[in-house]
Amino acid sequence: MKLKFCGITTKEDFSKAAKSKADYLGVIFAESKRKVTPHQVASWLQHTQLNEDQYVFGVFVNQSVEDIVHTVESTGITAVQCHGNEAPEVLQQIKAKTGVKVFKTIHHKEGAFEKIDEYSHIADGFVIDTKVEGAWGGTGTSFDWNTVPIYMEEASKVEKECLVAGGITPENVDELIRFNPGGVDISSGIETNGRKDEDKMARTEEKVKKTYQYPDEFGRFGDFGGKYVPETLMNALEELESAYNEIKEDDQFFEALHKEWETFSGRPTAMTYAENLTEKLGGARIYLKREDLNHTGAHKINNAIAQAMLAKRMGKTKIIAETGAGQHGVATATAAARFGLTCKVFMGKEDMRRQELNVFRMELLGAEVIEVTSGSQTLKDATNEAIRHWVTNVEDTYYLIGSAVGPHPYPMMVRDFQSVIGRESKEQMKELIGRLPDEIVACVGGGSNAIGMFHPFIDDPVSLTGVEAAGKGTKTNAHAATLTKGTRGVLHGSLSYLLQDDGGNVTEPYSISAGLDYPGIGPEHAHHKDTKRVNYVAVTDEEAMGALELLSVTEGILPAIESAHALASVVKQAPEMERNQTILVCLSGRGDKDVHTIKSYAEGGKS
Amino acid sequence: MTQLTDVRFQQRKNLFIPYIMAGDPTPEATIDVALSLQEAGADILEWGVPYSDPLADGPVIEQAANRAIEKGMTITKAIELVKEARSRGLTVPVVLFTYVNPVLRVGEEELVKKLSDAQIDGLLIPDLPMEESANLRRLTKEKEIALISLIAPTSKKRVEAIAKQSEGFLYLVSSLGVTGTRETFETDLQELIDDVKRVTRTPVAVGFGISKKEHVKKFHSIADGAVVGSAIVRFLHERRAQLTGADKEIALQELKEFVEELIS
Repeated sequence: MKLKFCGITTKEDFSKAAKSKADYLGVIFAESKRKVTPHQVASWLQHTQLNEDQYVFGVFVNQSVEDIVHTVESTGITAVQCHGNEAPEVLQQIKAKTGVKVFKTIHHKEGAFEKIDEYSHIADGFVIDTKVEGAWGGTGTSFDWNTVPIYMEEASKVEKECLVAGGITPENVDELIRFNPGGVDISSGIETNGRKDEDKMARTEEKVKKTYQYPDEFGRFGDFGGKYVPETLMNALEELESAYNEIKEDDQFFEALHKEWETFSGRPTAMTYAENLTEKLGGARIYLKREDLNHTGAHKINNAIAQAMLAKRMGKTKIIAETGAGQHGVATATAAARFGLTCKVFMGKEDMRRQELNVFRMELLGAEVIEVTSGSQTLKDATNEAIRHWVTNVEDTYYLIGSAVGPHPYPMMVRDFQSVIGRESKEQMKELIGRLPDEIVACVGGGSNAIGMFHPFIDDPVSLTGVEAAGKGTKTNAHAATLTKGTRGVLHGSLSYLLQDDGGNVTEPYSISAGLDYPGIGPEHAHHKDTKRVNYVAVTDEEAMGALELLSVTEGILPAIESAHALASVVKQAPEMERNQTILVCLSGRGDKDVHTIKSYAEGGKS
Repeated sequence: MTQLTDVRFQQRKNLFIPYIMAGDPTPEATIDVALSLQEAGADILEWGVPYSDPLADGPVIEQAANRAIEKGMTITKAIELVKEARSRGLTVPVVLFTYVNPVLRVGEEELVKKLSDAQIDGLLIPDLPMEESANLRRLTKEKEIALISLIAPTSKKRVEAIAKQSEGFLYLVSSLGVTGTRETFETDLQELIDDVKRVTRTPVAVGFGISKKEHVKKFHSIADGAVVGSAIVRFLHERRAQLTGADKEIALQELKEFVEELIS
């Protein structure tokens, strides 16, 4: 998102703006209380060091081409903004004579959308500003931002930049950003007593230019992440990281991946407006991102396909994976069959008993399911055993981790592959409601569907909630609420939060949902918890099962018990929100796999 | 200065380094076993801390860890146990072998203080590679405790950097995989050892899978030492009843004979 600090009137303010992250600096040559002379601007430009990509805009209102060209030449400004009712030909001539960037201001009023089309062949970009009778700008009032998406669509059709101006302040810029403008043009909002205020500039910059850049080169999300593995695996992780860095830049790989997602898994998945549930809860409008409609029934396939393609490209012929409920195991077995790779899935003996049908499914798909009898015979132990197998066979084997956990680069890689969920959601929300949602909710076990949903929104002013499994309650010992109740520690190769005892031994989690029944959590979630970017809550088995039933009867969708945890939080959150607000839920998987558990829960029995 | 950071240690050859799991079968037996191993000719003791998720270990050591945890052994108690063994005449260098999570639970700084206090000479953490060990290395250096590094057959480009910062001895992983007895080892270990020796004078001990006299002999000839873990842990587990009962001396005598045979 571009940032323009406009209406600069002194050398000091010019210098402050130059040091900021603003892409554009603006000076007014038209009649205005902020009018400056070409002579002043020439001198500032001479004495100020600008960033390479910073442009200085001169703002003109209905001045002659000759005047404008002369000003450009005498000052050295690098862009012109025609702020009056200059005809397209005027812009054409300025451009021809000076070669600088030329923007056209469009005043928000009837017929304004069509104006973009009229100038599209000549203007390099547009500024949409408030129209107040008798003034050309600088009125300090904003127009109806609900129309921003329409301007953006018009501008993107003709592939031009489009900034929004008028009445923007560091306080209300959040609201504007929700509408996803191409840029923010701010002038009086960053002033105190007529001078640019560094604090206000910084606050605006932080919101507009906020960019999230984790993990760092050591695979750290703040304090969390890293590579805590035996030396034998270090070289394999380095190889994986460089293979991943290579495909990141490879359009062909991503084209092929998107094609697989589309033609094999059925992406993009639908976005469903849960009208009945919305009515029932009587608050925010509820939308469901339907990852349950993926091939194999959950979001896990997104990552399994992508990593299987990466493995193949790295020349590996064997794939191994760990699985708890069996969803990731099924997804991996599916991807392995699709790409002609042999597949071994490690699964705890106890989980094999609970998820007998998934074991059979994996075997049908040609995978070998390896029973793990160590420890508690669940997901944690299956992961240990998969890592041990990998240590032994590291040279020809690819370890396909199913969640956003493990040593670097896995948490980053899984996040990036699962981010297709959030990216699609963003597009779909824009299409459906013309803006971003106010709140997004997803369940977290290891955290892959949540991180994939959240990541594309991480720099946006959208509230994010991750929902953990509280099992029989966080006051009991029978829960899997790692972020709510855990402490810092290392499990399966990365530093994160962890359920452990005083001696540093990992303790047994509990949840009715096999997919959330894990004592660790992806390191990036630990970072989001500590920075408070994401709010993490925990819901009990009972609350989740209640939400599962509610969605089934109100919307005709049987969610996975994992996803029902996210819904249980929505049941609490939606009524607290306004009716014009929107809450988006990641429906990570379908509940068909769970009918046995649901039935025995309903009958008061054990899973 | 501790025994492993003493420059004279660098001249040592034919090192025999047994591994024991603290608290298996009991803390008392661990001390008896340590003293017997010393008597039988152990040059260094690897003092294992039990952990719930020992990724680098095979089933023998994992099960020993589970038994020790079950009986209440922790990293702090394992360190205290060394202290007690020292007071009962244990003089050989001791290296604490622990996974990283218990270390973080105690706190790196606090842990190093405890190690120093218990006259522990070295620290070996199999899931703490070079990249993650800077802080701990600084702390152990201050107390002159050797932070033992591992090199694996897959270390490749990493060998030089790891060897350069090695202290005490270098633990060379004999083959891909986890701990536990095996018949075959990587064929090009000699080449790897040569690579290491070009960079450092630190003694090189080979471990993982060594259980027989022929293995020890082989690694004493191409390297400076051999680590024996699972074979000893299994040997002790088979004699757990004697070790905790009236026949203790018989079991300890058998252990000495087993070790003497291994290194003969």
